[in-house]
Amino acid sequence: MNRRELLQAALVGAGASFLAGCGPGLRSLVGSKSLGVAELPPHPEPLARTLNRVAFGFNLRAAEEVRSVGRERWIERQLDADEDEDPWLALQLQRLDVFNLAPAELRDLPEGEVVTQLQQAAVLRSVYGRNQLLERMVEFWSDHFNIYARKRFAAWRKPLDEVSVVRKHALGNFPGLLFQSAKSPAMLEYLDNDANLKGKPNENYARELMELHTLGVNGGYTQQDVQEVARCFTGWTIENRFGRQRGTFRFDPSQHDFGEKTVLGQRIPAGGGVEDGERVLQILANHPNTARFIAGKIVDRFIGDAHDEWRDRLAQLYLQTGGDIKAMLRPLLLSQALLDAPPIPKRPFDFVVSSLRALNATTDGRGVLRYLVDMGQSSYEWPMPDGYPTASEAWTGSLLGRWNFALDLLRGEVPGTTVPALEGAEPVEATLGRRAGSDSLSALLLHHDLRREEALALCLCSPEFQWR
Amino acid sequence: MEYCCDGYRMVSRRSLLAGALGLASGSALSQISLRERRDPDAPVLVVLFLRGGCDGLNTVVPHGEDEYHRLRPSLALRRRDVLDLDGFFGFHPALASLIPHYREGRLAVVHAVGSQDRTRSHFEAMSAMERGVAAASEHASSGWVARYLNERASGPSPLRSIAFSNVLPDSMRGGTSGIALESLKQYRLRGEDAQARRFRRSLAALYASGEDVLTQAGRATLEALDLVENLPAAPSASEPYPESDLGRAFAQTAQLIHAGVGLEVACLEKGGWDTHVAQGATSGWHAALLDDLARSLSAFAADIADHLNRVTVVVMTEFGRRTYENAGLGTDHGRASVMLLLGEGVAGGTVHGDWPGLTPESLEEPGDLRVTTDYRAVLSEVLRRRMALEKVEAVLPGFRGQGIGALA
Repeated sequence: MNRRELLQAALVGAGASFLAGCGPGLRSLVGSKSLGVAELPPHPEPLARTLNRVAFGFNLRAAEEVRSVGRERWIERQLDADEDEDPWLALQLQRLDVFNLAPAELRDLPEGEVVTQLQQAAVLRSVYGRNQLLERMVEFWSDHFNIYARKRFAAWRKPLDEVSVVRKHALGNFPGLLFQSAKSPAMLEYLDNDANLKGKPNENYARELMELHTLGVNGGYTQQDVQEVARCFTGWTIENRFGRQRGTFRFDPSQHDFGEKTVLGQRIPAGGGVEDGERVLQILANHPNTARFIAGKIVDRFIGDAHDEWRDRLAQLYLQTGGDIKAMLRPLLLSQALLDAPPIPKRPFDFVVSSLRALNATTDGRGVLRYLVDMGQSSYEWPMPDGYPTASEAWTGSLLGRWNFALDLLRGEVPGTTVPALEGAEPVEATLGRRAGSDSLSALLLHHDLRREEALALCLCSPEFQWR
Repeated sequence: MEYCCDGYRMVSRRSLLAGALGLASGSALSQISLRERRDPDAPVLVVLFLRGGCDGLNTVVPHGEDEYHRLRPSLALRRRDVLDLDGFFGFHPALASLIPHYREGRLAVVHAVGSQDRTRSHFEAMSAMERGVAAASEHASSGWVARYLNERASGPSPLRSIAFSNVLPDSMRGGTSGIALESLKQYRLRGEDAQARRFRRSLAALYASGEDVLTQAGRATLEALDLVENLPAAPSASEPYPESDLGRAFAQTAQLIHAGVGLEVACLEKGGWDTHVAQGATSGWHAALLDDLARSLSAFAADIADHLNRVTVVVMTEFGRRTYENAGLGTDHGRASVMLLLGEGVAGGTVHGDWPGLTPESLEEPGDLRVTTDYRAVLSEVLRRRMALEKVEAVLPGFRGQGIGALA
């Protein structure tokens, strides 16, 4: 029996007649490149791929929107990120104290509640936000400038960082983001830059700044540079005096080392104050290795790794535009590469959010959090400054958690979360954005005549749904 | 460009048929009984990684060296506070519960041990150690634990190697047998029994083929579900475990060892050792971590006393900390630290390794304890002597050094 006969036998056995139902989706599959019907699961539909990469996952309504506006225009709108927020989302966010209180007032809330509200907001925005690309980039920068909310007072400082650093600059320019991050009390606290004192420098921020935020680990700096950079940042701290706006950035000249420093071969003359650190940030932001490092990470996130040409092209754009994030994203998001590149594993957060989106679920964003803990990706709770890993190998232990989430979701057992009946929508199409075909998932659903909830749960649990 | 790369493998003929016709019905392994998996004499390796850089100097304290007290005016443990081992080294008082194990020869210390990685970066240093190479810049895409398991290629148990953590550690990457889980109790598919079984069969059909990482992981997960479901209850522990993540991880490791389900490696971890600020001395941050560590290890040793002849626990950390304290009464990233070895096969009751000293000329820039023992010397000895592995170089590529006599 050859492959085709085998395939036909399987399909007849399953009672499918998928060739007869050859809609637009399947035509594009059969017509694309040299893919034969046996090479399944199919090439992702452009709409599904676009929504899985640029947004937080496919959803029939969103697909209709992209289709009616046109893919390119929709991406341009996402880059502009000035869509009015969904009123329901705005209402949900208004209820969260963390974004409505000043850092000093927030201190009345217990740490756990602050962290929970931050996580809740991340879920809500990622599921319901109309500026989906913005949310994608917030996720990206939250990894890049990771802050562990359980370190000392970082939880109470993180909401300000979220609003005025990460969200404000997520689609702005990188140097701006870097400068705000350096002065963000949450970052000062997390990487101990607030404890970096004259004569007793603390190297934590200096090292991670170069290794993880800018140059990359082989970016050409030495242990000597780390020590010199730490000296430049001495005196950067968090306002803690009465009668001042507490919890804001402060430069304390009495703790600053005013001596001469040399950073990456550049002399920083004696007598400088807060501008020593700012000079360091400028040197790093303008460095070609920073351009390459940031470009490489963006390319990895959107089209997967090992795309040297794209990395070089985006690095070039970084240098030409002074680190304009949109300028780097635009050609990448509009490229054929985005549609053709191999699949990228969904991390647990992505899995949960895309599940909720696919099913048009209504959630308060809170009840799903414990599932994310089970799967190992609880937002703002990664202790190490490198952010949650992206390699699929890191998440092989999370499958059972994903399966249980899907099962509970479709049984209506996820707290604060309901799933509408989704009448009429075909399960494979609603979740994966493609027509049911001759793949094992479609065949299984047909053959077993599963209840609707079970069929949808199975779609979310399938290998295919774990990729974007 | 060829489309069918990693993730979306072609659905093979078999799975297509199996899926369509509903032929796949659970994993083949579930038909092999637990008893058949049992190898009562198989060695077990338990690796505990202390993440963040454990301050070796305030763990196994060189209290006999004056420089130690001079370098750490606030953080040094006073001579009268340490639990003296040999007149020169002493345990931090929080390690009191380990003293009997040390005295009775089940516990060995290796001091001034570390990697050749000089970046003082957590990620680089951890990456070097978890991949079993001299420094992070050296090539090895898989982890040393994964390579060890590949070398042994023994039992078919999906519970061969378990990481008690949310995320699979780098040391287990590159093998297909590693699973990460927080608690054995959570390891089940929720729902009514009959429904859950039916759903499991459907999942088995969906994950029946495909060689990408996640699909393989799906198959391993389904097999492990079968095994854990049939796990016998744990005998009550003779010494209570601390109520901590680490205590629970050790308790469950013991449960798997008692049950004889084919566990070969357990990877445990404990974070929080990055004590840049206010690390404390006899009490405080660092002391609390040590207390949890010591009580967990001690309870584990008591719990699996009957198996300690085949179990070896290795405690390691990516680097030690600066010899002198900083202005925040903490310590910055340094170089050498300590390793602990527990089990009946270790040369216990001794602090192994060459002590480089803390005088200015003996330190490594910018003021760190010099690494005199390569961590791979210890691992190679454990693998050769305790795990009966012949081809150690396959697990620790490029390591040519000798052991240091830390194993009996």
